[in-house]
Amino acid sequence: MRKYLFIFKSELMSNLQYVFDIFVGFIGYFIMLFILFNLWEYMYSDPSELINGYTMSQMTWYVIVTEILWMTLGGRKLCRKICNDVRGGNIAYNINKPYSYIGYSLFSHLGGIALKGLIYTILGMIMGFCFLGEFPTINIFSIVAVLITGILATIISILLITFIGLFSFIIEDANPFYWLYSKFILVLGTIFPIEYFPAVMQPILTFSPIYVVSYGPAKLFVDFSWSNFLSVLIAQIIYVIIGYLLCTLIYKKGVKNLNVNGG
Amino acid sequence: MLTAVKNQLKITLLTIKFALMREMLNKVTFVTNIIFMILNNASFIVQWIVLYSLKDNVGGYTFNQVLLLWGIAAGTYGVSRFFFKKAFSLAETINNGKLDSFLVQPKNVLLSVITTDVEPSAIGDILYAYIMLFIYGFSIEKFLLFTLFIFTGGFMLTAIAVILGSLSFWFNKTDMIADVGNSLTTNFATYPDGIFKGVVKGILYTIIPVGMINYIPIKILTEFNLGLTIAVLGFTIFMIALAFFVFFKGLKKYSSSNLMIARL
Repeated sequence: MRKYLFIFKSELMSNLQYVFDIFVGFIGYFIMLFILFNLWEYMYSDPSELINGYTMSQMTWYVIVTEILWMTLGGRKLCRKICNDVRGGNIAYNINKPYSYIGYSLFSHLGGIALKGLIYTILGMIMGFCFLGEFPTINIFSIVAVLITGILATIISILLITFIGLFSFIIEDANPFYWLYSKFILVLGTIFPIEYFPAVMQPILTFSPIYVVSYGPAKLFVDFSWSNFLSVLIAQIIYVIIGYLLCTLIYKKGVKNLNVNGG
Repeated sequence: MLTAVKNQLKITLLTIKFALMREMLNKVTFVTNIIFMILNNASFIVQWIVLYSLKDNVGGYTFNQVLLLWGIAAGTYGVSRFFFKKAFSLAETINNGKLDSFLVQPKNVLLSVITTDVEPSAIGDILYAYIMLFIYGFSIEKFLLFTLFIFTGGFMLTAIAVILGSLSFWFNKTDMIADVGNSLTTNFATYPDGIFKGVVKGILYTIIPVGMINYIPIKILTEFNLGLTIAVLGFTIFMIALAFFVFFKGLKKYSSSNLMIARL
C-alpha cells in the first residue's frame, strides 16, 4: 500500500505546480453551473415550489455537488491516457514493475485530481451560497459522511473509466465507449436526481453506477439521513470490488495478447 | 486575385482530403467514432424530454425548436472541428514552435495550419445535425438555410478559436484560456436564450456570439427574415477578417524555435 501512497503523493506534489490551470479550469465549471442555475430558476416559477420532491435550492445544490464530482474527475483525460498506454505500447513498461497497473492508474489519477477536487469543492460552495444565499441544513458529521461517499464515488468512477480504457486491448480506440458512458452519467445522473425519471426507470437507475457515482453523495448533501448514508456506502463498497475485479480481468486477458513492437 | 483564391481553395480542400484519407486507414475506428458521436449527441434528448415533461415551453422554445437548436449546435461544432481541427490547438502549435514548417510554404499560413488535420468524429456531429433538421421538418428552403448556418457558425467558432489561440504570440499559458473560451460557446449553444436575462443575454449576442451562431439562425429557420440573414453573414465575414488580422499581427512577433519536425 505504501508504494501506492507514494504514487499518490508524487502526483499531488507535481500538480501543485499547476494551481493556475485549476483556477482557469474552474471558469468552465462556473459557466456550467451558471447555465444550470438559470435553467432551474426558469423552471421553478416559485423557489419554494416542489418539483418531484425538490425545492429550487435543493436542485441547485444537487447540481453543484454532482458537477463538482464530475468536473473534478477528468475522466476524458484518464480514458485517453489509458488508451494511449495500450495503443502506444507504454503499458509494456508497467508489466515488469512491482505494482499493479490498475492500482497505479487509480492512485496516480487520484493524486492528480485531489487538489482540483479540494479547490472546486470550496469554490463550488462559495458559488452556491452566492447564488442562493443559504446552505442546505446539514451538520459537521453529515458533511464528513458526504465527503466519504464523494471520495468513494471518485474511486468508482476512476475504476469504471479504467475498465473502459482497457477495452483498447480489444478494439483500437476505446474513447467512443467513454463518450457514451460519460453522457450516461451526465444526462441521467448529473443534471437530474433519479426521482425526475419515470417510475419504471427509477429501480434500474438505482442499481446503475449513477446511484454510487453521482446521485448518492448529492442526495445526501441536500437531504441527509443516516439510513440513506448506509445504503449508499454499502452500494459503493460493492461497486469498488466489482470495478476492481473487472479491471483486473480485462487487464490480465489483454496483456496475454499484448504485442509491442520496438523499444 | 481570383486565381490565387481558387488555388488556395484547391490546396485547402486537398489538404483536408488527404487528412481524411489518413484517418480512414483504420476503417473500424473511423466508423465507430462517427456512430458513437451520433449516439453521444442523441443522449441529450433525454434531458429535454424530462424538462418538457415539467413545462410545455422552455425559454420560449418548443421541444422541436430545441431539437433544431441542438442540430445547429452540433452542425457548427462539427464543421469547425472537421475542417479546421487544428485551429483549436493553435496555442499549442505556436508555443511549441511548430509553425516553422508552415512558414516556408507558398500558401496562406493560417489556412495551412488549421486545415492540416481533421476530426473524424465531427462527421457524426454533422450527420446528427441533419437528423435533427429532418425531425424538425424538412423542406428544400430549410435545408439550404440550415446548411448555410452550420457553415457560418462553424466559421465563427473557428475564428474565435484562431483569435484565442493567437494570444499565444503575445502571452504565455494562453492554451488553457483558449480551451475555456472555446467551450464557453459550446456550453451556451445548447440552451435556449430565453432562460438567460439582462446583461448575460446581451453578452451572448456580442462578446460570446452564440446569438449569431445559434439563436438567430433558429429564429430565421422558424420564420425567414432577410435582414437577420444578412446580419449573420456580415458578422461571419467580420469574425473571419478579425481572425486573419489578429493571427497575422501576432505572426510578426513569432520567433522560430528551430524545431525540426517531419510532417507526413
